[in-house]
Amino acid sequence: MNTTDSTLRQGLSEVTERLVRDYGERAVTSRAVREQHSHGEGLADAGMPDIVVFPQTNDEVASIVGLCNAARIPVIAFGVGTSLEGHVAALYGGVCVDLSRMDRVLEVNDADLDCRVQAGVTREALNAELKGTGLFFPIDPGANATIGGMASTRASGTNAVRYGTMRENVLGLTVVTADGRIVHTGGRARKSAAGYDLTRLFVGAEGTLGIITEVQLRLYGLPEAISAAVCQFADLKDAVDTVIVAMQLGIPVARIELLDDVQMDACVRYSQLEFEAKPTLFFEFHGTEAGVREQAETIESIAAEHGGSRFQWATAQEERSKLWKARHNAYYAALALAPGKQAFATDACVPISRLTECVLETRSDIAATGLVAPIVGHVGDGNFHLVVLFDPAKPGEREKAEGLAARASARAIRMGGTCTGEHGIGIHKLDALVAEHGDAIALMQAVKRALDPNDILNPGKTVPFERAQRRR
Amino acid sequence: MLDPTFASALAAIVPPPALLTAPEDTRPYECDGLTLYREQPAAVVLPDDETQVVAILKLCHAARVPIVARGAGTSLSGGSLPVAEGIVLSLAKFRRIVAIDPSARTAIVEPGVRNLAISEAAAPYGLFYAPDPSSQIACSIGGNVAENAGGVHCLKYGLTVHNVRKVRAVLVTGDIVEFGADALDAPGYDLLALITGSEGLLGVITQITVKLLPKPALAQVALAAFDDVEKAGAAVGNVIAAGIVPGGLEMMDREATRAVEQFVHAGYPLDAAAVLLVEADGTPEEVAAEMAEIRDVLTRSGATEIRVSADEAQRLLYWSGRKAAFPAVGRISPDYYCIDGTIPRAALPGVLRQIATWSREYGLPCANVFHAGDGNLHPLILFDANKPGDRERTVEFGDRILELCIEVGGTITGEHGVGVEKLSGMCTQFAPEALERFLGIKRAFDAHGLLNPGKGVPTLARCAEFGRMHVHRGELPHPELPRF
Repeated sequence: MNTTDSTLRQGLSEVTERLVRDYGERAVTSRAVREQHSHGEGLADAGMPDIVVFPQTNDEVASIVGLCNAARIPVIAFGVGTSLEGHVAALYGGVCVDLSRMDRVLEVNDADLDCRVQAGVTREALNAELKGTGLFFPIDPGANATIGGMASTRASGTNAVRYGTMRENVLGLTVVTADGRIVHTGGRARKSAAGYDLTRLFVGAEGTLGIITEVQLRLYGLPEAISAAVCQFADLKDAVDTVIVAMQLGIPVARIELLDDVQMDACVRYSQLEFEAKPTLFFEFHGTEAGVREQAETIESIAAEHGGSRFQWATAQEERSKLWKARHNAYYAALALAPGKQAFATDACVPISRLTECVLETRSDIAATGLVAPIVGHVGDGNFHLVVLFDPAKPGEREKAEGLAARASARAIRMGGTCTGEHGIGIHKLDALVAEHGDAIALMQAVKRALDPNDILNPGKTVPFERAQRRR
Repeated sequence: MLDPTFASALAAIVPPPALLTAPEDTRPYECDGLTLYREQPAAVVLPDDETQVVAILKLCHAARVPIVARGAGTSLSGGSLPVAEGIVLSLAKFRRIVAIDPSARTAIVEPGVRNLAISEAAAPYGLFYAPDPSSQIACSIGGNVAENAGGVHCLKYGLTVHNVRKVRAVLVTGDIVEFGADALDAPGYDLLALITGSEGLLGVITQITVKLLPKPALAQVALAAFDDVEKAGAAVGNVIAAGIVPGGLEMMDREATRAVEQFVHAGYPLDAAAVLLVEADGTPEEVAAEMAEIRDVLTRSGATEIRVSADEAQRLLYWSGRKAAFPAVGRISPDYYCIDGTIPRAALPGVLRQIATWSREYGLPCANVFHAGDGNLHPLILFDANKPGDRERTVEFGDRILELCIEVGGTITGEHGVGVEKLSGMCTQFAPEALERFLGIKRAFDAHGLLNPGKGVPTLARCAEFGRMHVHRGELPHPELPRF
């Protein structure tokens, strides 16, 4: 062990002692809690934090980060652990800051359609709080993630096609920076041309530039009418082409989800749906009664031209909920296809004009590997996922699965797209980021260095930096 | 004056007539839309292509010569004000629309392309580019990106940052970097958002991919008159609170309406204290339903008269007054000063009342014409620069309006940028913690501070000199210290 390492170790034990002293039962070092904070919902990655702290205020977060910065100890922010890309793994140990106790909705401004929440508020809790105001927060990545985690990973979801991603819906932030100071960005004004766009820089930075502690969000009026419809196709290509035509016409659909026949088969079984195992589109329309009817009629006629079935409607709240719940449970439905197997989800996003080509090529690639990998996605944005199933006990199968996922990333990039429509980079996609963004990486590193010179914030993620280089 | 070795190296990259050094040739570049500030540059270069831009930047970087990039020169905050010892890098020759892809609904354009020219080129495909600053016939898309420009239709369709997919830029070192992606999302840090609105401080933009939107089948505008400015302000909030997102939601007060009516003869009601323009767009059914709702809300909010455009010609006529408001005000007053603060919409009535009070106190008329739906105010303070003291009082009046904007939770600039004009305001709006991040980012991109120096972000020393104490949400920094 060299001197630097022993100094760091010394610092870590001092920080740990100090945190235990200051935070009492809100600073936990038990193995079970540390293990629980070492991974999200994706595959487990090596890396347990040395201690988990549960702060309740901005000042507490600031003082924890300040301590860690002085001792050069890594700090990893944690929401509820729904990440799929290994964002929360403590690759170098350190302090996990669990924000789940910062769960207050601080203000709701009905007239201005905005609100301010602490980072640990989950999206479902926020919408429950909004009940009765006629407003809602639409971004819906499936999982009941925290708003802080959603902002940090620039999450989107099934209705991004209508409401955008977190990029469009975060108006301002309170962030604890690497030096343990509190910075306010953006605000309640709808637009600002003052200074660099720090808000969007922290959104999607995956906790590597600062820890988001409060979020100012845009809200929307609940639409007067909502209806959902299901349309089934004999052929995957026809389903995707229908989406492309609808998007080119600019029809403001609230959600369009594609499920291929394998995924549909899984969902029908898992969620007891009365549909066939065929390539399927789920639609949701928001608007006035007249607007919703008009949008639906236009799309139904486009679908019919592509051989789609008649729309099967779900208008009542319970029917719609059942449908979207089935969609959200797609990952678990896929897992249930092959009990005992493991799975990981990948994420690809291409310009809409290349969507058919990308989906079909991916589909043939899956067939060639012989693996089971359902395709499901928010195709209105050109975004889709593969849930790749593999048997960890079978030699070579994990590698085969990883190869399939890597080729899906490369394919998306080749077609002018990206390997991370919404799940973020974390650690699993660092290589793909380099492939995709070669020339901008040096700049990203320079920005990281400017805002976190000691590389303490979620080190080893998002943008490869010094600590990662040191490890190699 | 340029160092002779540097001058000849520059001439080797961009020979005359693309290199201007004589004072009579550089004179037209001494200011932009903010004529209060003027400075002649040592040279102006007009490169033809990106290779030349790279060479120019490398040369300037090596010689530590400041560079100010310039598009059409319509900035209202002095964003392209030259630096005496530096060069102006004009992108006027970058005028090509490289490609329009109707199926991806994008256009690839060079930075010197005029904003309106993009929509004109996209029109045959039934598409348009949404952000529409009032200067759209003249301003260039490169400048729009650098300033994160807005416009009348941003309420519904977003600002420049929401309508740009990809930006290609040359860094001060001469390295070429692409920000963003053709797909919905680009991984890693959102450098695209960082360069958008960075006012030429981080890089020189050489190519932009913008999003295009399908042109709505129908657009109609309602013109509503109010006998009271505050009622009109409250009506704006009521429209939004009713869940309506109009294509445009603009307000003009009596001062502005009268100036405009003499200029465009749009038939605006001259006796109204304020006029709102509310646009609905979409399919005919959607427009009919939305217009009925808008009418209802406006009536409930106390509108004394509501007219809805009967056809496209009338719609354009109603808008013509709004779009021509600045030149119209320019006709009735020797000088005017345009303010660009943005506030939460709910604060509109109170802020408008305060502006009216100050206008009386200072004896300076103030015409309000603005993007009400966004809460983006554009008070135009009318003054006469030849009258002793008028200019000083105008600036003081403007500063008080901006401070009020910050106080109610808003910002000192909604869409015109900081430039040289609002550096002091930045000290008021942002705490040192945030300003330090800005400066850190600037250093990460441009270690020697050569790109557009003296703009956008104030130094901490300047803020200390300016003596503004930042108070955020009523939290004083270091509350333990005795004060006052």
